[in-house]
Amino acid sequence: MNENHPVPPVIPQADAPPRPPEPSPSLHDQRPLGDDPAERAPIPHVFAAIESLLRQPRRLMFQLRQPGAGKLTGAMLFAALVCSLVYGVVAGTFSGGAQLWAAPVKIAAGLMISAAICLPSLYIFTCLSGSQARLTEVCGLLAGLLMLMTILLVGFAPVVWIFSQSTGSLAWMGALHLIFWFVATLFGVRFLKAGFSHSSAKSHAGVNVWIIIFLLVAVQMTTALRPILGTSETFFPAEKQFFLGHWGDCLKQSAGESKTDSRD
Amino acid sequence: MAGQTGFAEEINCVRLNNVNRRLPNSVNHELSTLLRGETETLSAWSGRWDTRRFALHLAVIVFGAGLYGAAMGWWRDPQQAFYVAIKFPLIILLTTLGNALINAMLAPLLGLDIPFRQSFSAIVMGFTITAAILGAFSPLLAFMVWNAPAMTPGISTGPTYNLIKLTHVAVITFAGTMGNARLFQLLVKLGGNQTIALRVLCAWLAGNLFLGSQLSWILRPFIGLPSLPVEFLRPDAFHGNFYENVFNSLLRLLHYN
Repeated sequence: MNENHPVPPVIPQADAPPRPPEPSPSLHDQRPLGDDPAERAPIPHVFAAIESLLRQPRRLMFQLRQPGAGKLTGAMLFAALVCSLVYGVVAGTFSGGAQLWAAPVKIAAGLMISAAICLPSLYIFTCLSGSQARLTEVCGLLAGLLMLMTILLVGFAPVVWIFSQSTGSLAWMGALHLIFWFVATLFGVRFLKAGFSHSSAKSHAGVNVWIIIFLLVAVQMTTALRPILGTSETFFPAEKQFFLGHWGDCLKQSAGESKTDSRD
Repeated sequence: MAGQTGFAEEINCVRLNNVNRRLPNSVNHELSTLLRGETETLSAWSGRWDTRRFALHLAVIVFGAGLYGAAMGWWRDPQQAFYVAIKFPLIILLTTLGNALINAMLAPLLGLDIPFRQSFSAIVMGFTITAAILGAFSPLLAFMVWNAPAMTPGISTGPTYNLIKLTHVAVITFAGTMGNARLFQLLVKLGGNQTIALRVLCAWLAGNLFLGSQLSWILRPFIGLPSLPVEFLRPDAFHGNFYENVFNSLLRLLHYN
């Protein structure tokens, strides 16, 4: 280097703004999984799995195709279980008492049983649609759906708690939980569909039908395991009912209370 | 090489001195940067956690929204002014905290890959701008209330009450819109895409409006009524919710019962 004519050094920018984040590959990016080296980084623990699901879903999808993905699926199921228990406790604060333990147990069990009931049909539908996904990958994607749903529900938990403390209307709280559950499921289903789009499926019709089945099973599970929000002398309901009938009864009861209130 | 290092150190010293010279005016400087929505600087701020800056934003929210709240409650009673001065910033802070987790989760899911800290600071900055505007309008509102006739039992049906109410709605709408417009610009800068920024802003707005409305309902009264006592919370604050009330009002309006 010529000492007589020093090249001006690069001055570090003390107050320079950091570069905007590199746009992460979209969930619906159709490039092959693992194309980006970052997607090939292993997911060592459950927190990394949560982080990947939110920020790098393609990394999670890639890892679910690798040998030993069962451990990752197990970790995701465990996270879903813990998150659903946390959300259940918050839901239970509406009635308090025994519901503080009954609601989390019912919500967590209901979610896991719904997933277990729907898993065989999901595998059949994916095979029928020409997908190359193996059963372990299907299990992993379903676990991802459950984990994403439940962590979003935990995100909604502070809002649920505030409403639980300020309303006595069972119908209103039921509707609020259903709205949050629906939003969370929407994101979960989006992940599942994105996962299947990388498995050479010829059509999404089968997965779409399965999504409707899963929604119906999950909603019916809330009726089968009722009361989740309200109170009852028995842990399980004495009378069997379909969810539409149950919702109708709740709305009628709520309308009756509302009329009484307005007359008061 | 030694010459190069010395030159760089000298330049850095000059830069640091410039930064230090700016410090006495930093509050003013930071507020004006926020209000002007200088996205380059704001995105840098949101990227790095600075406790002093966060405390400043918090102080602007507490004082700005507090002053506006005081002007709002003053018409009913000085004690009501004191209560509303506490409640107004409380709504903003509780809404930010209550939705922090879900907002941070929604951002990456909707395509804006920013960490929790960055989404939290972006929202706080949006609210800081809103609170600063509210604070700036508080003397005007106080003057308006000072000129208004005293609150008497029949006033809630008269034009003065409605005028004051509408003025509050207009000012709060303006402040909220500006805060969100600046937040949108920041999100565009962070995400590099208007569609993603709009998507994230709408999701955050929906959540914040949903929770904020309920918190406002719990923490009522704000303007107050002469027929009701001055109190921090109504005795039925935790009975019912905002949306239930709107729904029941609609039913009554349609003569459902």
